[in-house]
Amino acid sequence: MAECINSSKCPVQNPEVVFREEFDDWAVLFDPDTGETYGLDPVSAFVWKKLDGKHSIKEILSELAKACKDGVPDEAPKDVTEFVEDLTSKGLVGYKE
Amino acid sequence: MRVMKTPNSVDLNITNRCNLRCSYCSHFSSESDSGTDLTTEEWLHFFGELKDCTVLDVCLCGGEPLFRKDFKELVDGVVKNRMRFSVLSNGTLINDDIIEYLKSTKRCSSFQVSIDGPGPEEHDIFRGKGTFEKALAGLKCLMRHDMPATVRVTIHKHNVKSLERVAELLLEDVGLPSFSTNNAGHMGLCRENEADVQLTADEYSEAMGKLAMLNKKYNGRIGAQAGPLASVKGWQEMEDAKKQGKAEISGCGYLRSCGGVFSKMAVLADGTMVPCGQLSHIKLGNIKKDSLREVWINHPELQRLRERRDMPLDNFEYCKDCGYIPYCRGGCPALAYTITGDENKPSPDACYRAFLESGGKLPEVN
Repeated sequence: MAECINSSKCPVQNPEVVFREEFDDWAVLFDPDTGETYGLDPVSAFVWKKLDGKHSIKEILSELAKACKDGVPDEAPKDVTEFVEDLTSKGLVGYKE
Repeated sequence: MRVMKTPNSVDLNITNRCNLRCSYCSHFSSESDSGTDLTTEEWLHFFGELKDCTVLDVCLCGGEPLFRKDFKELVDGVVKNRMRFSVLSNGTLINDDIIEYLKSTKRCSSFQVSIDGPGPEEHDIFRGKGTFEKALAGLKCLMRHDMPATVRVTIHKHNVKSLERVAELLLEDVGLPSFSTNNAGHMGLCRENEADVQLTADEYSEAMGKLAMLNKKYNGRIGAQAGPLASVKGWQEMEDAKKQGKAEISGCGYLRSCGGVFSKMAVLADGTMVPCGQLSHIKLGNIKKDSLREVWINHPELQRLRERRDMPLDNFEYCKDCGYIPYCRGGCPALAYTITGDENKPSPDACYRAFLESGGKLPEVN
Protein backbone atom coordinates (compact mmCIF):
# COMPACT_ATOMS: atom_id res chain seq x y z
CA MET A 1 0.00 0.00 0.00
CA ALA A 2 2.84 2.44 0.78
CA GLU A 3 3.99 1.85 -2.78
CA CYS A 4 0.54 2.86 -4.10
CA ILE A 5 0.33 6.00 -2.01
CA ASN A 6 3.78 7.17 -3.03
CA SER A 7 3.37 6.26 -6.66
CA SER A 8 3.35 9.10 -9.15
CA LYS A 9 0.85 7.25 -11.33
CA CYS A 10 -2.39 9.14 -11.76
CA PRO A 11 -5.60 7.10 -11.84
CA VAL A 12 -8.17 8.10 -14.44
CA GLN A 13 -11.91 7.45 -14.67
CA ASN A 14 -13.24 5.09 -17.32
CA PRO A 15 -14.93 7.62 -19.65
CA GLU A 16 -17.86 5.25 -20.23
CA VAL A 17 -18.81 5.27 -16.55
CA VAL A 18 -21.51 7.72 -15.53
CA PHE A 19 -21.10 9.75 -12.35
CA ARG A 20 -24.52 10.85 -11.20
CA GLU A 21 -24.84 13.19 -8.26
CA GLU A 22 -27.73 12.58 -5.92
CA PHE A 23 -28.72 14.17 -2.63
CA ASP A 24 -26.44 15.75 -0.02
CA ASP A 25 -23.22 15.20 -2.02
CA TRP A 26 -23.84 11.47 -2.35
CA ALA A 27 -23.47 10.03 -5.82
CA VAL A 28 -23.83 6.93 -7.92
CA LEU A 29 -21.41 5.37 -10.38
CA PHE A 30 -23.17 3.62 -13.23
CA ASP A 31 -21.54 1.22 -15.65
CA PRO A 32 -23.85 1.24 -18.67
CA ASP A 33 -22.35 -1.95 -20.08
CA THR A 34 -23.25 -4.03 -17.08
CA GLY A 35 -26.02 -1.94 -15.52
CA GLU A 36 -24.17 -2.12 -12.20
CA THR A 37 -24.42 0.87 -9.88
CA TYR A 38 -22.15 1.76 -6.99
CA GLY A 39 -23.10 4.21 -4.26
CA LEU A 40 -20.57 6.84 -3.28
CA ASP A 41 -20.63 8.74 -0.03
CA PRO A 42 -19.48 12.39 -0.14
CA VAL A 43 -15.83 11.51 0.49
CA SER A 44 -15.79 8.81 -2.19
CA ALA A 45 -17.52 11.22 -4.56
CA PHE A 46 -14.85 13.81 -3.85
CA VAL A 47 -12.10 11.29 -4.57
CA TRP A 48 -13.83 10.14 -7.77
CA LYS A 49 -13.86 13.67 -9.11
CA LYS A 50 -10.09 13.83 -8.66
CA LEU A 51 -9.49 10.69 -10.68
CA ASP A 52 -8.78 12.76 -13.77
CA GLY A 53 -5.39 11.42 -14.75
CA LYS A 54 -3.72 14.48 -13.23
CA HIS A 55 -3.71 13.61 -9.53
CA SER A 56 -1.71 10.90 -7.82
CA ILE A 57 -3.23 9.23 -4.76
CA LYS A 58 -0.90 11.24 -2.55
CA GLU A 59 -2.11 14.48 -4.13
CA ILE A 60 -5.74 13.41 -3.77
CA LEU A 61 -5.19 12.73 -0.07
CA SER A 62 -3.64 16.15 0.30
CA GLU A 63 -6.61 17.83 -1.36
CA LEU A 64 -9.02 15.77 0.72
CA ALA A 65 -7.29 16.92 3.90
CA LYS A 66 -7.65 20.55 2.82
CA ALA A 67 -11.35 20.05 1.98
CA CYS A 68 -12.24 18.43 5.30
CA LYS A 69 -12.84 20.96 8.04
CA ASP A 70 -11.64 18.65 10.79
CA GLY A 71 -8.87 17.01 8.78
CA VAL A 72 -8.87 13.34 7.79
CA PRO A 73 -8.68 10.28 10.03
CA ASP A 74 -5.53 8.15 10.19
CA GLU A 75 -7.17 5.44 8.08
CA ALA A 76 -7.71 7.82 5.18
CA PRO A 77 -4.62 6.77 3.13
CA LYS A 78 -5.56 3.09 3.47
CA ASP A 79 -9.24 3.73 2.76
CA VAL A 80 -8.61 5.90 -0.29
CA THR A 81 -6.05 3.47 -1.69
CA GLU A 82 -8.38 0.52 -1.23
CA PHE A 83 -11.22 2.50 -2.78
CA VAL A 84 -9.17 3.28 -5.88
CA GLU A 85 -7.94 -0.32 -6.08
CA ASP A 86 -11.53 -1.54 -5.87
CA LEU A 87 -12.57 0.80 -8.66
CA THR A 88 -9.63 -0.42 -10.73
CA SER A 89 -10.53 -4.05 -10.20
CA LYS A 90 -14.06 -3.31 -11.43
CA GLY A 91 -12.78 -1.59 -14.56
CA LEU A 92 -14.13 1.79 -13.49
CA VAL A 93 -10.67 3.32 -13.20
CA GLY A 94 -7.42 2.84 -15.09
CA TYR A 95 -4.01 4.39 -15.35
CA LYS A 96 -2.53 6.50 -18.10
CA GLU A 97 0.65 5.11 -19.60
CA MET B 1 -40.03 12.79 -0.85
CA ARG B 2 -37.03 14.47 -2.36
CA VAL B 3 -36.73 15.17 -6.05
CA MET B 4 -33.62 14.05 -7.90
CA LYS B 5 -31.63 16.80 -9.62
CA THR B 6 -32.53 15.27 -12.96
CA PRO B 7 -34.68 12.27 -13.93
CA ASN B 8 -32.69 9.05 -13.88
CA SER B 9 -34.92 7.43 -16.48
CA VAL B 10 -36.93 8.73 -19.44
CA ASP B 11 -39.57 7.00 -21.56
CA LEU B 12 -39.23 7.94 -25.22
CA ASN B 13 -42.08 7.52 -27.71
CA ILE B 14 -39.60 7.45 -30.57
CA THR B 15 -42.42 7.20 -33.07
CA ASN B 16 -46.12 7.86 -33.19
CA ARG B 17 -46.53 5.26 -35.91
CA CYS B 18 -47.40 1.60 -35.57
CA ASN B 19 -48.13 -1.21 -37.98
CA LEU B 20 -51.07 -2.29 -35.81
CA ARG B 21 -54.20 -0.70 -34.38
CA CYS B 22 -55.00 -2.82 -31.34
CA SER B 23 -58.53 -2.23 -30.11
CA TYR B 24 -57.46 -1.37 -26.59
CA CYS B 25 -54.32 0.61 -27.34
CA SER B 26 -53.79 3.28 -24.72
CA HIS B 27 -51.75 5.38 -27.17
CA PHE B 28 -53.89 5.96 -30.25
CA SER B 29 -56.65 8.55 -29.91
CA SER B 30 -55.21 9.58 -26.55
CA GLU B 31 -53.26 12.76 -25.83
CA SER B 32 -50.00 10.89 -26.44
CA ASP B 33 -51.05 10.41 -30.08
CA SER B 34 -49.00 13.38 -31.17
CA GLY B 35 -49.32 12.90 -34.92
CA THR B 36 -45.76 13.72 -35.96
CA ASP B 37 -42.33 12.21 -35.36
CA LEU B 38 -39.06 13.95 -34.56
CA THR B 39 -36.24 13.60 -37.05
CA THR B 40 -33.21 11.43 -36.41
CA GLU B 41 -31.09 14.51 -35.74
CA GLU B 42 -33.58 15.90 -33.24
CA TRP B 43 -33.56 12.69 -31.23
CA LEU B 44 -29.77 12.38 -31.37
CA HIS B 45 -29.36 15.94 -30.20
CA PHE B 46 -31.72 15.24 -27.30
CA PHE B 47 -29.76 12.14 -26.32
CA GLY B 48 -26.80 14.44 -25.79
CA GLU B 49 -28.92 16.46 -23.40
CA LEU B 50 -29.90 13.26 -21.60
CA LYS B 51 -26.21 12.46 -21.22
CA ASP B 52 -25.54 15.90 -19.74
CA CYS B 53 -28.36 15.24 -17.28
CA THR B 54 -26.81 11.83 -16.41
CA VAL B 55 -29.98 9.98 -17.33
CA LEU B 56 -29.09 6.32 -16.89
CA ASP B 57 -31.64 4.56 -19.02
CA VAL B 58 -34.39 5.12 -21.53
CA CYS B 59 -37.38 3.07 -22.58
CA LEU B 60 -37.92 3.06 -26.33
CA CYS B 61 -41.62 2.85 -27.08
CA GLY B 62 -44.22 4.42 -29.33
CA GLY B 63 -46.26 3.53 -31.40
CA GLU B 64 -44.07 0.65 -32.45
CA PRO B 65 -40.39 1.56 -32.00
CA LEU B 66 -39.15 -0.91 -34.63
CA PHE B 67 -41.27 0.93 -37.17
CA ARG B 68 -38.60 3.60 -37.39
CA LYS B 69 -36.21 3.05 -40.27
CA ASP B 70 -33.46 4.74 -38.26
CA PHE B 71 -34.02 2.53 -35.19
CA LYS B 72 -30.43 1.29 -35.13
CA GLU B 73 -29.10 4.82 -35.52
CA LEU B 74 -31.19 5.97 -32.58
CA VAL B 75 -30.00 3.07 -30.45
CA ASP B 76 -26.43 3.96 -31.45
CA GLY B 77 -27.14 7.44 -30.13
CA VAL B 78 -28.39 6.06 -26.82
CA VAL B 79 -25.30 3.89 -26.48
CA LYS B 80 -22.86 6.70 -27.37
CA ASN B 81 -24.46 8.82 -24.67
CA ARG B 82 -23.72 6.22 -22.01
CA MET B 83 -27.24 5.00 -21.37
CA ARG B 84 -28.93 1.64 -21.24
CA PHE B 85 -32.27 1.03 -22.89
CA SER B 86 -35.30 -1.19 -22.87
CA VAL B 87 -37.83 -1.69 -25.66
CA LEU B 88 -41.62 -2.07 -25.62
CA SER B 89 -42.81 -3.70 -28.83
CA ASN B 90 -45.71 -5.58 -30.39
CA GLY B 91 -43.05 -8.07 -31.51
CA THR B 92 -44.27 -8.38 -35.09
CA LEU B 93 -41.35 -6.53 -36.72
CA ILE B 94 -38.56 -8.37 -34.93
CA ASN B 95 -35.95 -10.04 -37.11
CA ASP B 96 -32.55 -11.65 -36.54
CA ASP B 97 -30.65 -8.65 -37.91
CA ILE B 98 -32.16 -6.18 -35.45
CA ILE B 99 -31.79 -8.50 -32.50
CA GLU B 100 -28.17 -9.34 -33.30
CA TYR B 101 -27.48 -5.63 -33.48
CA LEU B 102 -29.23 -4.94 -30.15
CA LYS B 103 -27.31 -7.75 -28.51
CA SER B 104 -24.02 -6.35 -29.78
CA THR B 105 -24.66 -3.07 -27.93
CA LYS B 106 -24.64 -4.85 -24.55
CA ARG B 107 -26.97 -2.11 -23.37
CA CYS B 108 -30.39 -3.71 -23.70
CA SER B 109 -31.91 -4.26 -20.27
CA SER B 110 -35.12 -5.80 -21.54
CA PHE B 111 -37.19 -6.27 -24.66
CA GLN B 112 -40.90 -6.60 -23.99
CA VAL B 113 -43.24 -8.25 -26.46
CA SER B 114 -47.02 -8.12 -26.16
CA ILE B 115 -48.71 -11.51 -26.28
CA ASP B 116 -52.31 -11.80 -25.18
CA GLY B 117 -53.22 -15.41 -25.58
CA PRO B 118 -52.11 -19.01 -25.97
CA GLY B 119 -53.00 -18.77 -29.64
CA PRO B 120 -54.37 -16.59 -32.43
CA GLU B 121 -57.96 -16.77 -31.24
CA GLU B 122 -57.33 -14.74 -28.10
CA HIS B 123 -54.51 -12.56 -29.40
CA ASP B 124 -55.54 -11.65 -32.94
CA ILE B 125 -59.09 -10.66 -32.05
CA PHE B 126 -57.94 -7.23 -30.87
CA ARG B 127 -54.54 -7.01 -32.52
CA GLY B 128 -55.19 -8.18 -36.05
CA LYS B 129 -55.06 -11.36 -38.07
CA GLY B 130 -51.71 -13.06 -38.12
CA THR B 131 -50.23 -11.00 -35.31
CA PHE B 132 -50.00 -13.83 -32.79
CA GLU B 133 -47.75 -15.93 -35.01
CA LYS B 134 -45.54 -12.94 -35.77
CA ALA B 135 -45.30 -11.88 -32.12
CA LEU B 136 -44.49 -15.42 -31.01
CA ALA B 137 -41.86 -15.70 -33.74
CA GLY B 138 -40.42 -12.40 -32.53
CA LEU B 139 -40.32 -13.66 -28.97
CA LYS B 140 -38.60 -16.87 -30.02
CA CYS B 141 -36.07 -14.84 -31.99
CA LEU B 142 -35.23 -12.94 -28.81
CA MET B 143 -34.86 -16.18 -26.87
CA ARG B 144 -32.69 -17.70 -29.60
CA HIS B 145 -30.30 -14.79 -29.26
CA ASP B 146 -30.33 -15.06 -25.48
CA MET B 147 -31.77 -11.57 -25.10
CA PRO B 148 -33.50 -10.39 -21.90
CA ALA B 149 -37.01 -10.99 -23.26
CA THR B 150 -40.14 -10.26 -21.32
CA VAL B 151 -43.82 -10.50 -22.22
CA ARG B 152 -46.77 -8.37 -21.24
CA VAL B 153 -50.13 -10.10 -21.28
CA THR B 154 -53.00 -7.62 -21.40
CA ILE B 155 -56.08 -9.24 -19.97
CA HIS B 156 -59.42 -8.58 -21.61
CA LYS B 157 -62.80 -10.17 -22.16
CA HIS B 158 -61.57 -12.67 -24.70
CA ASN B 159 -58.55 -14.08 -22.95
CA VAL B 160 -59.60 -14.09 -19.31
CA LYS B 161 -60.64 -17.72 -19.61
CA SER B 162 -57.34 -18.74 -21.23
CA LEU B 163 -54.89 -17.53 -18.60
CA GLU B 164 -53.78 -21.03 -17.64
CA ARG B 165 -52.85 -21.81 -21.23
CA VAL B 166 -51.08 -18.47 -21.63
CA ALA B 167 -48.95 -19.20 -18.58
CA GLU B 168 -48.18 -22.69 -19.87
CA LEU B 169 -47.18 -21.34 -23.28
CA LEU B 170 -44.91 -18.62 -21.94
CA LEU B 171 -43.39 -20.25 -18.88
CA GLU B 172 -43.19 -23.87 -20.04
CA ASP B 173 -43.24 -24.05 -23.85
CA VAL B 174 -41.27 -20.89 -24.57
CA GLY B 175 -39.37 -21.04 -21.28
CA LEU B 176 -39.55 -17.39 -20.22
CA PRO B 177 -38.36 -16.80 -16.67
CA SER B 178 -41.41 -14.62 -16.06
CA PHE B 179 -44.07 -12.46 -17.67
CA SER B 180 -46.15 -9.50 -16.51
CA THR B 181 -49.84 -8.73 -16.71
CA ASN B 182 -52.23 -5.82 -16.74
CA ASN B 183 -55.81 -5.42 -17.87
CA ALA B 184 -57.02 -3.35 -20.77
CA GLY B 185 -57.59 0.00 -19.12
CA HIS B 186 -59.80 2.96 -19.82
CA MET B 187 -57.39 4.91 -22.00
CA GLY B 188 -57.00 5.62 -25.69
CA LEU B 189 -58.76 3.30 -28.12
CA CYS B 190 -59.97 1.16 -25.23
CA ARG B 191 -62.42 3.90 -24.34
CA GLU B 192 -64.09 3.58 -27.72
CA ASN B 193 -64.21 -0.21 -27.48
CA GLU B 194 -64.95 -0.66 -23.81
CA ALA B 195 -67.95 -2.90 -24.18
CA ASP B 196 -66.00 -5.37 -26.32
CA VAL B 197 -62.73 -5.25 -24.42
CA GLN B 198 -62.99 -4.35 -20.78
CA LEU B 199 -63.45 -6.86 -18.00
CA THR B 200 -66.66 -6.77 -16.03
CA ALA B 201 -66.39 -6.87 -12.23
CA ASP B 202 -67.00 -10.62 -12.31
CA GLU B 203 -64.38 -11.12 -14.99
CA TYR B 204 -61.92 -9.00 -13.05
CA SER B 205 -62.50 -11.19 -9.98
CA GLU B 206 -62.05 -14.27 -12.13
CA ALA B 207 -58.76 -12.92 -13.46
CA MET B 208 -57.61 -12.12 -9.94
CA GLY B 209 -58.29 -15.66 -8.76
CA LYS B 210 -56.67 -17.35 -11.72
CA LEU B 211 -53.57 -15.19 -11.69
CA ALA B 212 -53.09 -15.64 -7.97
CA MET B 213 -53.35 -19.40 -8.39
CA LEU B 214 -51.03 -19.43 -11.40
CA ASN B 215 -48.49 -17.21 -9.69
CA LYS B 216 -48.39 -19.67 -6.83
CA LYS B 217 -48.14 -22.62 -9.20
CA TYR B 218 -45.25 -21.01 -11.05
CA ASN B 219 -43.44 -19.79 -7.94
CA GLY B 220 -43.83 -16.07 -8.40
CA ARG B 221 -42.97 -15.93 -12.09
CA ILE B 222 -45.96 -13.76 -12.95
CA GLY B 223 -45.63 -10.05 -12.21
CA ALA B 224 -47.90 -7.05 -12.19
CA GLN B 225 -47.56 -3.37 -11.41
CA ALA B 226 -51.26 -2.84 -12.09
CA GLY B 227 -54.30 -4.85 -13.02
CA PRO B 228 -55.86 -7.95 -11.49
CA LEU B 229 -52.75 -9.58 -10.01
CA ALA B 230 -51.51 -6.30 -8.53
CA SER B 231 -54.98 -5.80 -7.06
CA VAL B 232 -54.81 -9.21 -5.38
CA LYS B 233 -51.54 -8.32 -3.70
CA GLY B 234 -52.44 -4.76 -2.82
CA TRP B 235 -55.97 -5.40 -1.64
CA GLN B 236 -54.99 -8.49 0.32
CA GLU B 237 -52.41 -6.41 2.14
CA MET B 238 -55.11 -3.84 2.93
CA GLU B 239 -57.55 -6.48 4.13
CA ASP B 240 -54.93 -8.15 6.32
CA ALA B 241 -53.91 -4.83 7.86
CA LYS B 242 -57.53 -3.98 8.65
CA LYS B 243 -58.21 -7.39 10.17
CA GLN B 244 -55.09 -7.13 12.29
CA GLY B 245 -56.28 -3.77 13.53
CA LYS B 246 -53.19 -1.96 12.32
CA ALA B 247 -53.43 1.80 12.67
CA GLU B 248 -52.06 2.24 9.16
CA ILE B 249 -49.70 0.88 6.56
CA SER B 250 -46.72 3.17 6.39
CA GLY B 251 -47.01 5.75 3.62
CA CYS B 252 -50.73 5.17 3.10
CA GLY B 253 -53.68 7.41 3.64
CA TYR B 254 -52.54 9.87 0.99
CA LEU B 255 -52.35 10.01 -2.81
CA ARG B 256 -49.01 8.20 -2.88
CA SER B 257 -49.40 5.47 -5.48
CA CYS B 258 -47.21 7.17 -8.02
CA GLY B 259 -43.59 7.99 -7.35
CA GLY B 260 -42.79 8.43 -11.03
CA VAL B 261 -42.61 12.20 -10.97
CA PHE B 262 -39.70 12.02 -8.56
CA SER B 263 -37.42 10.00 -10.82
CA LYS B 264 -38.68 9.82 -14.38
CA MET B 265 -40.33 11.64 -17.25
CA ALA B 266 -41.54 10.92 -20.75
CA VAL B 267 -41.20 12.46 -24.19
CA LEU B 268 -43.79 12.04 -26.93
CA ALA B 269 -43.00 11.38 -30.56
CA ASP B 270 -43.15 15.08 -31.46
CA GLY B 271 -40.81 16.05 -28.63
CA THR B 272 -43.46 17.12 -26.10
CA MET B 273 -42.26 16.50 -22.56
CA VAL B 274 -44.89 15.00 -20.26
CA PRO B 275 -44.74 13.58 -16.72
CA CYS B 276 -45.65 10.12 -18.00
CA GLY B 277 -46.94 8.67 -21.24
CA GLN B 278 -50.31 8.16 -19.57
CA LEU B 279 -50.50 11.79 -18.40
CA SER B 280 -49.95 13.26 -21.85
CA HIS B 281 -52.55 15.98 -21.34
CA ILE B 282 -50.02 17.67 -19.04
CA LYS B 283 -47.62 19.22 -21.51
CA LEU B 284 -44.45 20.49 -19.91
CA GLY B 285 -42.61 21.80 -22.93
CA ASN B 286 -40.84 20.51 -26.02
CA ILE B 287 -37.32 19.17 -26.27
CA LYS B 288 -36.75 21.27 -29.38
CA LYS B 289 -36.85 24.47 -27.37
CA ASP B 290 -37.02 23.74 -23.64
CA SER B 291 -34.38 22.48 -21.23
CA LEU B 292 -35.15 19.09 -19.71
CA ARG B 293 -33.30 20.02 -16.53
CA GLU B 294 -35.16 23.30 -16.21
CA VAL B 295 -38.54 21.66 -16.76
CA TRP B 296 -37.73 18.87 -14.33
CA ILE B 297 -36.85 21.23 -11.50
CA ASN B 298 -39.14 24.18 -12.07
CA HIS B 299 -42.24 23.32 -14.03
CA PRO B 300 -45.30 24.13 -11.86
CA GLU B 301 -47.29 21.17 -13.22
CA LEU B 302 -44.61 18.74 -12.08
CA GLN B 303 -44.48 20.48 -8.72
CA ARG B 304 -48.25 20.09 -8.48
CA LEU B 305 -48.06 16.37 -9.24
CA ARG B 306 -45.33 15.93 -6.65
CA GLU B 307 -47.60 17.55 -4.08
CA ARG B 308 -50.21 14.82 -4.58
CA ARG B 309 -48.51 12.79 -1.90
CA ASP B 310 -49.47 15.38 0.70
CA MET B 311 -53.20 15.09 -0.10
CA PRO B 312 -54.98 13.05 2.56
CA LEU B 313 -57.52 10.59 1.17
CA ASP B 314 -60.05 11.56 3.81
CA ASN B 315 -60.30 14.99 2.18
CA PHE B 316 -62.02 13.43 -0.83
CA GLU B 317 -65.77 12.96 -0.99
CA TYR B 318 -65.21 9.67 -2.84
CA CYS B 319 -63.30 8.23 0.14
CA LYS B 320 -65.74 9.43 2.77
CA ASP B 321 -66.28 6.96 5.61
CA CYS B 322 -63.99 4.38 4.03
CA GLY B 323 -62.42 2.07 6.58
CA TYR B 324 -59.52 1.29 4.26
CA ILE B 325 -58.13 4.82 4.04
CA PRO B 326 -55.17 4.11 6.38
CA TYR B 327 -54.06 1.28 4.07
CA CYS B 328 -54.71 2.90 0.69
CA ARG B 329 -52.53 5.00 -1.65
CA GLY B 330 -55.24 6.18 -4.01
CA GLY B 331 -54.25 4.46 -7.27
CA CYS B 332 -52.81 5.65 -10.55
CA PRO B 333 -53.18 9.40 -11.25
CA ALA B 334 -53.51 8.71 -14.97
CA LEU B 335 -56.49 6.44 -14.40
CA ALA B 336 -57.90 8.96 -11.93
CA TYR B 337 -57.71 11.59 -14.67
CA THR B 338 -59.16 9.28 -17.35
CA ILE B 339 -62.12 8.29 -15.20
CA THR B 340 -62.83 11.43 -13.17
CA GLY B 341 -61.19 14.21 -15.17
CA ASP B 342 -58.80 15.06 -12.35
CA GLU B 343 -55.45 13.40 -11.67
CA ASN B 344 -55.47 14.81 -8.14
CA LYS B 345 -58.19 12.47 -7.00
CA PRO B 346 -58.20 8.82 -6.03
CA SER B 347 -58.78 6.45 -8.92
CA PRO B 348 -62.09 4.56 -8.75
CA ASP B 349 -60.34 1.82 -10.70
CA ALA B 350 -58.09 1.10 -7.72
CA CYS B 351 -60.78 1.29 -5.05
CA TYR B 352 -61.03 -1.81 -2.89
CA ARG B 353 -64.24 -0.65 -1.25
CA ALA B 354 -65.87 -0.20 -4.67
CA PHE B 355 -64.68 -3.67 -5.63
CA LEU B 356 -66.29 -5.18 -2.52
CA GLU B 357 -69.49 -3.20 -2.96
CA SER B 358 -69.82 -4.46 -6.53
CA GLY B 359 -69.74 -8.02 -5.22
CA GLY B 360 -66.05 -8.68 -5.68
CA LYS B 361 -64.20 -11.07 -3.39
CA LEU B 362 -60.53 -11.63 -2.85
CA PRO B 363 -59.47 -15.02 -4.15
CA GLU B 364 -58.54 -17.78 -1.77
CA VAL B 365 -55.39 -19.45 -2.98
CA ASN B 366 -54.53 -22.82 -1.44
